[in-house]
Amino acid sequence: MKSKPRTRERQLKHKHYAGWLYSIPGFIFLILFFWYPLILSFVVAFQHWHPIKPPVYVGLNNFQLVFNHPLTPLVFKNTLIYAGLRIALTFLIPIIVAILIMEMRKSTIRIMMILWFIPISGVALTILWKYIYNPYYGLLNAIFVGLGFAPQRWLSDKNLAMLCLILPSLIMFAPGLIYIGALQTIPEELYEAAELEGAGFWSKIWHITLPRIRPVIAMLLILAVISAFQEFNLPYIMTKGGPGNATLFAVQYLWRTAFGYMKLGEGTAIAILLFFFLLTLTIIQRKFFRENVDE
Amino acid sequence: MPLIAKVGRNKLSVKFWLAFITSFLWLGVALHLFPVWWMFTSSIKPVPEVYKFPPTLWPHKPTLVCYKLFFQAIGVSYKGEYRTVLPFPIYVYFKNSLIYTLGTMVIQIPVCALVAYSLSKLHSPRWSRILFLAFITPLLIPAQIYLIPRVLLFKNFPYAFKISSNLPSVNLMNTTWVMILPFCYDAFNVLLFKGFFDTIPESLVNAARLDGASEIGILRRIIIPLSKPIFAVVSWFSFSGLWNRFLWPLTVLTEEKMWPISLRMNLLQTQLESEHLQAGMSEIELALREIGLGWNLIMAMGIIQSIPIFIVFLICREYLMKGIRLRGFK
Repeated sequence: MKSKPRTRERQLKHKHYAGWLYSIPGFIFLILFFWYPLILSFVVAFQHWHPIKPPVYVGLNNFQLVFNHPLTPLVFKNTLIYAGLRIALTFLIPIIVAILIMEMRKSTIRIMMILWFIPISGVALTILWKYIYNPYYGLLNAIFVGLGFAPQRWLSDKNLAMLCLILPSLIMFAPGLIYIGALQTIPEELYEAAELEGAGFWSKIWHITLPRIRPVIAMLLILAVISAFQEFNLPYIMTKGGPGNATLFAVQYLWRTAFGYMKLGEGTAIAILLFFFLLTLTIIQRKFFRENVDE
Repeated sequence: MPLIAKVGRNKLSVKFWLAFITSFLWLGVALHLFPVWWMFTSSIKPVPEVYKFPPTLWPHKPTLVCYKLFFQAIGVSYKGEYRTVLPFPIYVYFKNSLIYTLGTMVIQIPVCALVAYSLSKLHSPRWSRILFLAFITPLLIPAQIYLIPRVLLFKNFPYAFKISSNLPSVNLMNTTWVMILPFCYDAFNVLLFKGFFDTIPESLVNAARLDGASEIGILRRIIIPLSKPIFAVVSWFSFSGLWNRFLWPLTVLTEEKMWPISLRMNLLQTQLESEHLQAGMSEIELALREIGLGWNLIMAMGIIQSIPIFIVFLICREYLMKGIRLRGFK
């Protein structure tokens, strides 16, 4: 009889130890590769890095150089336009598709899930689009000419390049799977109950589906905004920032500054500006979407 | 079928509505599949057809010449000058990609699972909240800020600065480690794991504890067998994310023999597109065309690069719908 509480105590102790033990590997990686570099970047931003000589503290000089650089306003304008357009045009599509796919028969859902969210390597697909956009032998111009329009220069056209970068993201996406996962957790009784009260298609979406998946939408919106502002692969592969810097975005700008021109301090200063900008955006979004759903 | 009322499904308007949704979805599927198909047909087209305008929808003379380059390096001579096109056969890059991706996953998935499990079931509620915040913030921090400091960190691992010559530090640039270490922890995976572990009832774990099971035993005999779906989900997200890495290898891998396949594809594409001489062809492109290669080679590499992702997707597919239990940042 007496031994029972003691075993219980020991078990709680074990649970406690196991908790910390299991967290340790994660902690090490977290500190070494996330928190440490984060702090480091706030050090580097105030330094001048020379390839051979030790770094020198230069105060706010890097930030001044970035602010006075003629490209900076253009880059931030481009990034804003691109990210804004991409979120506006592509964020809703996977939500709509996921909701509609759930209307299909079970067997159809299975097939459609594979086909809609069929995975292709992002880099490969981006390069494929470059082939499609080719003004001389690309598919898009063939379609255009076939329909009787004048052929376009697409990625080499200052006015079209930005749109050309967004078009591929209209069909490349995976978050649909997360929405489907979220939609599946909604109990069917809710819909049946609503049906008895005479709720129709739209009112069910509005009053049941959307509130239920709102936390997931809020989270993915935050992640989508963060990643849209940090897009690098698409412009780097397709246009290299051209024509005439029309598609030069923030991350490529800082990458080029830091590793192309070897101005690590200035590059870090750009990174920190973008960091604070995105942090503000995230905080605003968190305020807008409070996460507590009535349960 | 929760949205459309079960009663009255035979009504004409409802039928019409359903047909409309169905056709919309299939249209999307077609649009979505088209690039895949285009990549595939282009990869088996012979050179004259790849550059034909207007392009042919299906190759008249399909050829597998590009896929044969999986085991063969190529170069061309142009105006007496030798230029490498693929200094290594494709399988070298492919192998690198596999090593980087699988090597990272082997560490990343257990690390993240353990963290999520301890947050969900082991820590006291108060500590759990605090630690969760610490573990999840990397998700909210734009990853670009890590780029430069991490490069410095790996050039002079693990200090970033030359502190003194007594302290040993190594340069890990151009090694496999540089592609593995920074990705061993992933906050999104922790979120996925925790969302799932939270749905496993606490009472189940407590009951096992009362029966005298050790913590490791609980993990091994109860949690892991229950969690197959979430391991599949995380493997899928992790694999596709890691396989597609581009910016980081571009920054840290300068030696070509270490490159993943995505970097080589991009360079090849740049070589073809950069120096336009006549009718949109670069020098290398003209020389390559003489040996029957061009965009079909890049497309073949694209297909080769997509195959592993597709295989992992097929393996994990059964569990994908069951395993995702995300509830936002909570």
